[in-house]
Parts: sequence; structure tokens; C-alpha cells
Amino acid sequence: MSKRATGSSILTANRLSDGRAVFLDFEGAWNESIDVALVARASQEIAELEARGAFDAAQNLVVEPYLVEVRETEGRLMPVRQRERVRAGGPSVLDDVPGYAAPETARVPLAERRTDRVLEEAA
Amino acid sequence: MYRYDEFDAAFVRQRVAQFRDQVERRTSGELTEDEFRPLRLMNGVYLQLHAYMLRIAIPYGTLSSRQMRKLAHIARTYDRGTGHFTTRQNLQFNWPKLTEIPDILDELAEVEMHAIQTSGNCIRNVTADHFAGATGDEVADPRPYAEIIRQWSSLHPEFSFLPRKFKVAVIASEHDRAAMQLHDIGLHLKRLQDGRLGFAVYVGGGMGRTPFVAKKIRDELPEEDLLSYLEAILRVYNLQGRRDNKFKARIKILIHEAGIEAIRAEVEEEWQRIRGGALKLPAEEIARIAAYFKPPGFETRPAKAALRPADRAFDRWVTRNTHVHKQPGYAIVTVSLKPIGGVPGDASAAQMDAVADIAERYSFDEVRVTHEQNLVLPHVSLGDLWEVYRALKEADLAESNAGLATDIIACPGLDYCALANARSIPIAQRISERLAPRQDEIGDLKIKISGCINACGHHHVGHIGILGVEKRGEEHYQLLLGGSGAEDAAIGNITGPGFGPDGIVDAVEKVVDRYLELRSGPDEPFLAAYGRLGAAPFKEALYVAA
Ligand code: SF4
Repeated sequence: MSKRATGSSILTANRLSDGRAVFLDFEGAWNESIDVALVARASQEIAELEARGAFDAAQNLVVEPYLVEVRETEGRLMPVRQRERVRAGGPSVLDDVPGYAAPETARVPLAERRTDRVLEEAA
Repeated sequence: MYRYDEFDAAFVRQRVAQFRDQVERRTSGELTEDEFRPLRLMNGVYLQLHAYMLRIAIPYGTLSSRQMRKLAHIARTYDRGTGHFTTRQNLQFNWPKLTEIPDILDELAEVEMHAIQTSGNCIRNVTADHFAGATGDEVADPRPYAEIIRQWSSLHPEFSFLPRKFKVAVIASEHDRAAMQLHDIGLHLKRLQDGRLGFAVYVGGGMGRTPFVAKKIRDELPEEDLLSYLEAILRVYNLQGRRDNKFKARIKILIHEAGIEAIRAEVEEEWQRIRGGALKLPAEEIARIAAYFKPPGFETRPAKAALRPADRAFDRWVTRNTHVHKQPGYAIVTVSLKPIGGVPGDASAAQMDAVADIAERYSFDEVRVTHEQNLVLPHVSLGDLWEVYRALKEADLAESNAGLATDIIACPGLDYCALANARSIPIAQRISERLAPRQDEIGDLKIKISGCINACGHHHVGHIGILGVEKRGEEHYQLLLGGSGAEDAAIGNITGPGFGPDGIVDAVEKVVDRYLELRSGPDEPFLAAYGRLGAAPFKEALYVAA
């Protein structure tokens, strides 16, 4: 599996109105999917992301913006910390109730385990 | 049950209106997040990993069917169809929209509920024995005192900004079913030497980063002095508790650093000054509150169920999930929220409705929430047990595992909680599945799991405790053995190096296997065997044996 060196970051926050975890996408909008997150690779880009987070927080669009370190693996974004993988993917426990979620769950492609989709299917 | 008086009702309504205004000002940008955060927290609204979370107080864990139905309605209308019952006898919704929370609070106010003081550095929801008013081993129902404390502590002007949060639990039995000694203040209602009712008072218990079993600060406190003595403790703590370091701000640290004798002397001095004053509880006031909790109209019934259908699953459920009632002919029923491989403490809206219906029909309209994340039907006639069992089974709520290895406490952990280091729920699910086939053979065993050192999952007092930590960005788990949250309260000891998410399930199984191998017989429970054998054979099984 090819892995880039760490140091790539994306910007995340919670949307003010409903608290949902969101990511700044490459169109400058806040999106619930990490798959479309804008990746900053150089320090200048990272600083710009941070500034954008502070601005949108001041505009009351989002709260508590922060950077998440990611690895870009085979074209996918994978947060380095497990915490951020769970945050991006939704609660693992909703994926396969009443069974259990193996720890590997957070490593399957995030697009395939979006909580919303799981819930829609269950509805 | 306690019913709001006009003051209570007006106060809660007013508070909802205030919060609605605060939310509007926040979304319009008039309030910044820094300004708004303390306001939302005072109303039980947290910002978690994926969304806001609303924590609703269930005073002393007592609910009516009407209230339970309202919770089901909120789960269905404003959340994703599920509620999570917590170790503080509260209910949490994991997906409310901030803009809809004022509507939720209005709905709650309709059934005399709210989310006030479920967060922040104040006196939190007062908890009590979940068998209160039903069990034969209590001297009196402890809930009237919990209600008196609730009224005294609600928006208490002096104690709304304590150094840290403050938790009180009340029991009235020698069997501690409320982890009373793990609270900032634990009250044990008992008969004093002169025969009157009063309390043994414990102080400085708690879990978290620095766990302590509470120390007894007073052996005999007459009931009329309850509030003045609590006020004296809180006042000493409020003045002397540390505000410079969040991790050292709980009263347990003050007691630990100053010593119980020194704190006792100061509390006594303050108490002597105020005890005859406005806080003295008149007998009529205690009686007035107690009247709300008077026993329902029990009928005289045969002490044993006359007819039991020949059904082994039902038999097993009766053996495991019912408890002796003080009234002959009745039983206390534990409704397990721990299906094998399920999420501990979760109930769907349909399940909440089902429990409400069953309680209304068979349990005098009453439901309890336990700190072990189960529900209780406190007053079920023995003759109705079969019907109750069948109705619970219909709702997937008849798991016969109360007190067994699959009756696991687990905090929300990294699946929901912004403070978490590791997931708790999937670990609980996997242990549950692993041990389910042998749980009857294993017998009573309390496994408790927290996703971080804050210990909401009570890992310190699990017979087997699990603590999630983060190691180089990944989930990792420490194992503790020998804790207890009952009358023999004790803090468990870490076994040694921790385990990965897969290894922790194997580790628990190794401990269980070693216990089964070494116990003197099926009558020696895990904790007794651990006390007799010490940690060594378990460590050997974990770290040495191939
Ligand atoms: S113990 Fe930690 S992870 Fe679990 S609910 Fe409490 S704060 Fe969150």
C-alpha cells in the first residue's frame, strides 16, 4: 500500500445549527463527507485553512474548527488518528447493530460506511 | 411520584423560554460561541464528536409511563429513534439539532422534565437506589430525601459555580445499588441509635483520573438536619476546593489533601452555626414530600406465583431478572438493556413505548432507570410475570442477564464522545458475544468500560474494568481487576501493560477462564475468588501463560 509522508491536513469543524461534523471542501463549502475535503500540504496552505476556519467560526457558520492530519492512501483520505477516523466515518456501532463493529471497521473506505446511508437503508 | 407545583412548572417554562432566546441569539450571531457555551451547558447541551448531545435529568431514576412515552416521542421526532440511558440515571440523545432543542425542552416541560444542571460545575441530578420504595431491605424510601435535595440544589445561588461538578447519591439499604461511596456525597438513610431516621454521610468519593472511595464524615445525622449539613459541606468545599487546576478541583482531592479530620472539623463548625436556621427540615415538610412517594395500592396476593408456565427461558428470566419485593405477591423486574452484542443502555423509541405500556398496565405506572444502564419495573404482581415477560420479549427486552457477564456498563466512548480516547461500545459488544454462551456458568460478574480516564463507564469499580487510552493515535485498553461499586466498594488495580482492541477481548476471556479454573466452586463469585487468590494468577494467565 503506497503511503505519502504525513503532514497533509484538512479542516474540520461542527456546523453551528445542527452540530454535525463537517469538512471544508474544495469548493470552499462545509461538507459532511471527508472524501471531498480540501487537502493542505504546504505550510502556507495550512495557514490559509486555519484562517478560513477562524473566519467561518466568526461568521457563525461553524464552531470549533481545527486541522486534522491525514494520509493520502490510494487516492483516499485517511485521518492519522483513530479519533478522527471515527469522527469522519460516523459511529461504528450504527453500522452493524445488533452485531458488533470490528476495530477494522474504521479502516474500510469511509464512503462505504457513512452513517446517513446506513440509516437510510435501515429506514 | 413527585408532581411539580406551580413554582416548579413556572420555573422550568421560564428557563426554556430563556434558552430559546439564547439559541436564537447564537444562531443570529449576537452571541459568540464563547458566550453561548456556558449557557448551553447549563441546559444539558454538549457538542460531541458528530453532533450536539442533549442530556436529560431523570431525578433519582424515576419515570412515569407518560414521561417515558414523551422520551420515545422525542427520540422519534428529533433524534434518530434511539435514546441512551447513562450511568447517572440520565438519558442522552445523540443527534438533536441545536435549533430544535428549545422545542424538545418545551416537550419535556409538558411532562415535568428538564435538562437543567445535567452539566456544569453545580450539583448534578441526585441519584438513588433504583429499587427504592420496592425492596424489602430498605429502612424507608430514600427518594423523598433525594427530591428534597433536588429542590434545595436547583439553581442554588451559592452553589451554581462550584470548583467542579458535584454528585450526590442516596440509598436506604445495606446493599448499595447506587455506587453511593463513589459520589462527592453519599447518603445512607438508616435508623439512628435513638430509633429515629437519619443518615450516615460519606464524602469525597469519585472516579475519574484520581479515584477514591468516599470517607464517612458523620455516622449519625438526624433527617431534619440533612440540608444544613449538606450546605455546610458544600460551603467548605466551595471556599477551599481548588480552582487553579481542573484535575484537582473535586472535593475528593480536598479531602485527600487536607485529611478527613480537618474537613470534618470545619464542616461541623459551619454546621453548628447554621443548623438551627432556615434549612432545618420540619417533619411536616418531609411528610409532605414523602406523600408523593407513598406506596401504590398493592393488593394482597399469594406470596408465590400459583402458575408458572413450563418454559425454561421464562424460568431463567424470573431467576435472573426479578428481585424480592417488600410486598408479598409482588416482584421487582429488571428490564435488561443489554441484548447480546447490542449497545449497552440504548433503547429504541418503540422499546421505550413498550416499556411505558407495560409499566402502565403491570407496574403502577412506574419505571426506574438504573446506574447500570438497565430499566426496572418496580412493582409487578407475581401473577403478571408471565404476561410481562411475553410483552418484553415481544419488544426484544427480555434478555435474562441481569448481573451477569453480558450485563456490561459501557460509556458512549469514541463512537460519540468528544473527550474519548477509545471506543467502549464495540468492545462491550464483542465481550458480550464472547462470554454469552458461558454467562450462567460464570455467574455474577460486573464488567465496566470507559473510553477515557473520566470514567463515566465506572471502570475503576468493575470486577473487571477496562479503560480506553490512546497510544500513538490508536485505541488501546488497560485492564483492571478487583473493583466494586457496591457496599464493599473498592478501586480495581491495573493488571499491567495494556492491550489492543482485539487483545482486550481475549484478555478478559483469559481472566474469566482462570477464575473458572481456580474458584473453590460455583458459589465463590469472581470478586471473592480475586480477593482470596490475589492478582498473581490472573497476571500469569494474561502475560506469562502461552
Ligand atoms: S468516560 Fe470519557 S469517553 Fe466515556 S463518556 Fe465519559 S468522557 Fe466520554
